[in-house]
Amino acid sequence: MTAWKTRRSPRMGPFGGRILFWLLVGLWVLNVADLLLTRYSLWLGFATESNGVMSYFFHSGEVPAGIFKVGIVTVGVLLLWRLRRYRTALFGAALLAGVFAAVVAYQALWVLSL
Amino acid sequence: MPEPLTSAGAPPAIPAGPPAQPLTRGAGPRRRRSEIWALLFAALVLLIGAAFGAGGYLVEQATSNWRPRIVPTQTGWRITEVRQLGFSGLALCDERIAWQDGPSILLLDLRSGRAKLLGPGEKARATWQPAVSERYVVWFEAARAGASNADAWTYDVATRRRRQIATLDDVLSFPSVSGTRTVWCTARAGESCIVGVDLTNNESFDVASEYGQPVIDGALVAWARSTGGRVSAFVLADVTQGRSWTIIPSGLGGAGDLTGFDLSGRTLVWGQHDAQSSSGRIVAQNVDTGAASVVAEGARAATAPSIDGATVVWAEQMAVGGAYRVMGRRLGGGPSFQIARVNGKVVTALVSGGAAAWLVDNGDRSPTWIEIAELPR
Repeated sequence: MTAWKTRRSPRMGPFGGRILFWLLVGLWVLNVADLLLTRYSLWLGFATESNGVMSYFFHSGEVPAGIFKVGIVTVGVLLLWRLRRYRTALFGAALLAGVFAAVVAYQALWVLSL
Repeated sequence: MPEPLTSAGAPPAIPAGPPAQPLTRGAGPRRRRSEIWALLFAALVLLIGAAFGAGGYLVEQATSNWRPRIVPTQTGWRITEVRQLGFSGLALCDERIAWQDGPSILLLDLRSGRAKLLGPGEKARATWQPAVSERYVVWFEAARAGASNADAWTYDVATRRRRQIATLDDVLSFPSVSGTRTVWCTARAGESCIVGVDLTNNESFDVASEYGQPVIDGALVAWARSTGGRVSAFVLADVTQGRSWTIIPSGLGGAGDLTGFDLSGRTLVWGQHDAQSSSGRIVAQNVDTGAASVVAEGARAATAPSIDGATVVWAEQMAVGGAYRVMGRRLGGGPSFQIARVNGKVVTALVSGGAAAWLVDNGDRSPTWIEIAELPR
């Protein structure tokens, strides 16, 4: 039973925990950068929000959009940190941080090109 | 006599043990190294993600087809269409040129040679000829080709912001922009009217309740008033003083049609073309005194003239070979001068600052192109 559990969710050592910590910090910062770049792109008038949920919140106002976006990612980050004993949390954080880094890099270059 | 608890002499020797070891010795640097490695690993993940994002952006830019071919020439730039949709609607102001490429509105910075796609927006499919001032580009967008209603948009060069400034029930003219004011002709409740928008605060203002193709320079708006299908007068309106007056075009009449007009300061320049003789002339007229001077006479198939300061520019067909030449003349004195010889049909020639720009359209035979050249000193 223990071996089965270990195969399902391998445990992570302290080094992995430190990587997870920095990935989650990066993820949270990139999420804020994504919010600011999206807001700036919408203000510039060349972009539209393609995410239906965020579009709804942006139409409701900038404060609700900011609270929702920062809030939901903060909850996600805390959840992943809570699961820091499991290696899956590290993979998930790495994937999310990588995707956010790609989105922010794309947006930053796009805004600079305008 | 009790013995003192402690002797006054030397304390008893305590056997020397191994020197005390700090508890964290060795573990601190190791933990710090581990922390740095963890940070570097996390940064590597973010860098890989950012590289994917940048790669995606570059691939998207490389596969986008809106960019025309922009080539520097000895005296300026040559912009050639690549999408075969046809260039039209040229506008020039100082160091910027705007035009239509099919339904797209493009802006080129003449200093850097960088082009920008300004419109149409996601939901629009049609545009009208843009106008450009020192800071703003103004154009109309509609949801579909052939629509008479449209939205007016502006692009602010300083803030790089694109925003909607008005909705038009009927597009009756192209926009014209100067400084921070833009004007156009539209219809309200079935009546034609010339209106404007102050681009600094988005406030609209009325210019006149009549039809006209307005041109604005500073606070002065000019348009041609027609009677019986012929231009009978030019109307001038000062939007800051709220007064308007007319001037009679000097010598305009006969079989000649007005090719177009332009305004700079207190000088109105207009062109007349006789379809039968294919001959035309260009006249400059003071808007206050009405004093006129002929800028060019016998100009064959001349385009509408353009004026900036004291320099008038137009294009005319050469007598031999059918080629065109772009001509200029300074109102202060001196003869007209040739700016360029063009192997193609010039449909628009403009001047602003120290540069002239012209649009060449040979019909379906070849791609349209735009050339920009410095004026000879």
